[in-house]
Amino acid sequence: MLIKTGVPDIEDIMEITPPKRRREKGPVAVIECFQRIPCNPCYTACRFGAIKEFEDINDRPKIDYDKCTGCGLCLTVCPGLAIFIVDESYSEKEALVKIPYEFLPLPEEGSFVIGLNREGKPVCRAQVKKVQKMKNKTNIVTLVVPKEHSMDVRSFSMKDYDDENTIICRCEGITLGEVRKLIQEGYRTVDEIKRISRAGMGPCQGRTCRQLIMQEIAKFTGQKMEDMLMPTFRPPTKPIKLGIIAGGESDE
Amino acid sequence: MNKAAEVVIIGGGISGCSIAYNLAKKGVKDIIVVEKSFLASGSTGRCGAGIRMQWGTEQNCRLSKLSVEFFENANEELGYDRDIEFNQGGYLIVAGTEEENEQFKKNVELQNKLGIPSVYLTPKEAKEIIPHMDETKILGATFCEKDGHLNPFHTTEAYAKAAKRLGVEFLTFTEVTGIDTKCGRVIGVRTNKGYISTPIVVNAAGGYAKRIGEMAGIDIPVYAQRHQILVTEPVEPMQKPMYMGFSLNIYIQQTPHGSFIMGRGDDSEPTDLRITSSWQFLEEMAKTCCELLPPLRNLNIVRQWAGLYTMTEDAQPIYGAVEELEGFYLAVGFSGHGFMLAPATGLLMAETILGEETTIDISNLDIGRFKRNELVFESSVV
Repeated sequence: MLIKTGVPDIEDIMEITPPKRRREKGPVAVIECFQRIPCNPCYTACRFGAIKEFEDINDRPKIDYDKCTGCGLCLTVCPGLAIFIVDESYSEKEALVKIPYEFLPLPEEGSFVIGLNREGKPVCRAQVKKVQKMKNKTNIVTLVVPKEHSMDVRSFSMKDYDDENTIICRCEGITLGEVRKLIQEGYRTVDEIKRISRAGMGPCQGRTCRQLIMQEIAKFTGQKMEDMLMPTFRPPTKPIKLGIIAGGESDE
Repeated sequence: MNKAAEVVIIGGGISGCSIAYNLAKKGVKDIIVVEKSFLASGSTGRCGAGIRMQWGTEQNCRLSKLSVEFFENANEELGYDRDIEFNQGGYLIVAGTEEENEQFKKNVELQNKLGIPSVYLTPKEAKEIIPHMDETKILGATFCEKDGHLNPFHTTEAYAKAAKRLGVEFLTFTEVTGIDTKCGRVIGVRTNKGYISTPIVVNAAGGYAKRIGEMAGIDIPVYAQRHQILVTEPVEPMQKPMYMGFSLNIYIQQTPHGSFIMGRGDDSEPTDLRITSSWQFLEEMAKTCCELLPPLRNLNIVRQWAGLYTMTEDAQPIYGAVEELEGFYLAVGFSGHGFMLAPATGLLMAETILGEETTIDISNLDIGRFKRNELVFESSVV
């Protein structure tokens, strides 16, 4: 499955999971490196001899959990962002998970995010404990998660799926919150919402947002989408230069 | 739904909403606006959104001046919670023929006499205002810095919301199917959702004005003609004023949002209430635009659409009562400039209906002028 989906299965995970006793003792590296590739920075970064010397550069890393201090040096150098630090000694019910994070913007310390599993699916709410900016741009975000999800949460989303800030119309930057406000004000057709907010007036001509706005109207009014007034699809179907239509130029 | 009203206004475009607001402001109760789709769904929402005071007839000048002065303070006046986006970037009107050039000089004289700050410019001076134009295509121009651009949807909303606060009822998605009369006067309006008894009906139905007239047994000398428009992708601000030519057959303006809106007229356009788009327009419009404003050839067209001009023979609106039918009022035939005249339309129609002295004398804009053969022709129309 891993080779097809990029998502490790339960057996893959069992193989790289440090013993529960060790996780409860304090921070420890979890190396989720599942493929043989020519890569060894984790070994060269480790100052405690916890990551064993590679016999062949293609080898997958082997770790001695008793020597590992959970310092996180290997986490920041792993080009595959495959190493995490898990610390189940944090509190009675919570664990810390350190996640290598290369997206921007970085979350704010203290803010709440949605913990995502290896498939990118939300599993729990998590709090950002610490954000460490690193020179190599592999920053470290430490999350506080419920202990039962310490071996599950491997990424996070700063937005709720139903977040009011979600962009509905990408061309004009109109958010779900703005659309909902207009529906609440009494605008009940896509056309009206389009004309007041500009949603759907951009170069893509509302390819995505029409449906999304209709869904929102349907949710609010209980109307069926097929009964709704659909805005006119207008030519040209894709943006085209005035000069090409006027003649004397070709569309290369 | 059966109702009674003091006044029924047919048409939820800018004119109907403005008339409703002005009547309500003067204290009229029980006003109902009937609209077959949503507000501004017809000509208002499809128009080019230009606002100008540079006209060739005294009446159009006066009406538009009153309207521009209203738009300048309309957000406050109407208590609108958003912005009607009035942007006074000016209008540069270019002459393509000697005859037009001479007429423009006369127009400026008339406009100045009426307090409209327009000026006559040579092609070279005009180019300083719009540097990307080909000035060899024009013989002269007139410019008024107080003209500009206004958002039709927001302006209609502003009027409608203000009217609602004053108690006006809006029946959207309600279609008028008939007008009942008795002994030469209006008694009610039939709709697909029920009957409204009323002594006063205002026809502000835009392109459908003639059809509404027929329902009341009144032949209104107007016809609706399709006019097409296109809009480009938004770009950085590069053209402040509207560029407009009558013999050159173009109007083109960069909106505050950054996109260019442009349109042209065509005598062969259908007059059967059709509002589909045509390929011919796209081609002709692109040619005209690239010839007169060459650098714009690199802009991408995003969308084209169409709406209706409701034309009168003299290209001036028809305002006021109808002799043959008491209680039947007209605010029709705006000939492509009903949006920009809406403040005047609302005020003057409200005054007329209430029997007050009108702020501007509009007695010669009545329907009777066609029979009396007292027409003053407006030539400044695209």
